[in-house]
Amino acid sequence: MPSITYRRVDGTSATVVVDEGTSIMRAALQNDVAGIVGECGGQAMCATCHVYVPEGVELPEVSDDEDEMLECTTSDRLDNSRLGCQLLAGRDFDELTVDLPESQV
Amino acid sequence: MTATCPFFAGSATAVAEPEYTPYEAPAPLPGTYIADWVTLEDLTRDPFPTFAKLRQEHPVPYVPAAGRYFVTRYEDVHTVDNDPDTFTANERGSLMKKSMGHSMLRMDDPNHAVQRATYGNVLKPKAIKASWRQVFEESYERYAAVLREVGPGVEFVHHFAGPYAAENLRRVMGFENATDQDMIRWSQTMINGTGNYADDPDVWAEAKRSYDEVNTALDEMIAHYWEHPNETLISNIIHTSNGDEVTLANIRANLKMSIGGGINEPRDAITTIMMGLFGEPEQRAAVLDGTRTWKEAFEEGVRWIAPIGMYPRQTTREVELGGTVLPAGAKLGVVALSANRDESVFANADRYDLGREKQPHLAFGGGVHFCAGAWLARSQVADVALPRLFAEFPGLRLDPEQQAVETGWVFRGMTHMPITWDA
Ligand code: FES
Repeated sequence: MPSITYRRVDGTSATVVVDEGTSIMRAALQNDVAGIVGECGGQAMCATCHVYVPEGVELPEVSDDEDEMLECTTSDRLDNSRLGCQLLAGRDFDELTVDLPESQV
Repeated sequence: MTATCPFFAGSATAVAEPEYTPYEAPAPLPGTYIADWVTLEDLTRDPFPTFAKLRQEHPVPYVPAAGRYFVTRYEDVHTVDNDPDTFTANERGSLMKKSMGHSMLRMDDPNHAVQRATYGNVLKPKAIKASWRQVFEESYERYAAVLREVGPGVEFVHHFAGPYAAENLRRVMGFENATDQDMIRWSQTMINGTGNYADDPDVWAEAKRSYDEVNTALDEMIAHYWEHPNETLISNIIHTSNGDEVTLANIRANLKMSIGGGINEPRDAITTIMMGLFGEPEQRAAVLDGTRTWKEAFEEGVRWIAPIGMYPRQTTREVELGGTVLPAGAKLGVVALSANRDESVFANADRYDLGREKQPHLAFGGGVHFCAGAWLARSQVADVALPRLFAEFPGLRLDPEQQAVETGWVFRGMTHMPITWDA
């Protein structure tokens, strides 16, 4: 099964194993991983599921909707910023480590 | 694009009226805590002491006065918001369905998602920047002029906050054939229907009149925007939907819900934040000198007093929540007003405090029903109305000569707020 590792700013991390089709955002909520809010339930409406993905990992392009919302993140948008609700385990990656931003709100 | 618009109604009767079946919820299970001491009068006047006591002692009580179990703690509200399979939004016997039709707010996914998609990007940040921000500035000018004309002592809710929010919504939706006052009347009378538990026939009559008026106005605008598409919500909906999955009845219900939800909330957010800043001179100074942002002032304002204080859900199965076992079919009141004051998440929760540790509040709801108008509200309140009011009306404050009134628990905000300034 796919897995996701969340690295926090303080250096600690959490790894969760998830069902295929689960988003980075949903996986965090289901496993009580703090640092992702996911207010809008994954509709690319709230920008509170912001994560930084590692350089060099092939992931689907940022859609227009995702791009618009990434402009509204609380912590700075970087080149490797993504919305956790738009990336699905099993479909877009099998194993992924993401860095959580300083703040989502 | 097809040649004929799939949404021409011909006449208002061509569309089925919303079905409404009254629903008798199951009795609370033995051992359930019954909060029979809670009265709607107390909640309406000042709900916070009641909610504080419930959070502490019985976080999910059955409240006979409201005919619902209250969900009062932050954590439990979060659970409900994120588990729509167990806690459905499609409440049986919902008075909202009777008052406004069956909108997306009373649907679960996947049906809800299909409806929600029709709103496209109209209410989102890019469109706000491209189109609506300018509209908000124009509305501001118009109603700020009213404040100046009436002068210090003017009642603010009815002269500024309400019409400002209504005019903004009118223009975003694209009701060129209506006025701000029509929008306010439609909104209030249909909301009154939604809360008409006493089944008062006069309330239904007024709600129905607005219901019909909105249909007529909408039919007219649909015909217009079919020929002349633009950036408004009505135009976007009819040009991106095909009439199969999304029907005219759906569009009517969705827009009525948005009329109901798009005026009082920004109106109440404006006045609530003003009250917060009036009561905390140091924080007011910090916002005015840029140490704190208006966005922070906004988020803390709706955290402090959530304009939508309570919203309904219904259980689909027997489930335990916050120590209470709820039977299948139980009606819940999800109390955002209370969750946002949960001391386990927000220290000194009763205080308007821009310095508090940042935590996500629940004023916009959570999960798929997260408020579609959130960005619109933020922009009209925090980018335009508040910064300009505080800059252009020096010494803005409550008028000490008159009484201000804050009220409500299903919706809460200032209903009467006389203000003055150094003219
Ligand atoms: S959960 Fe809201 S944008 Fe991802």
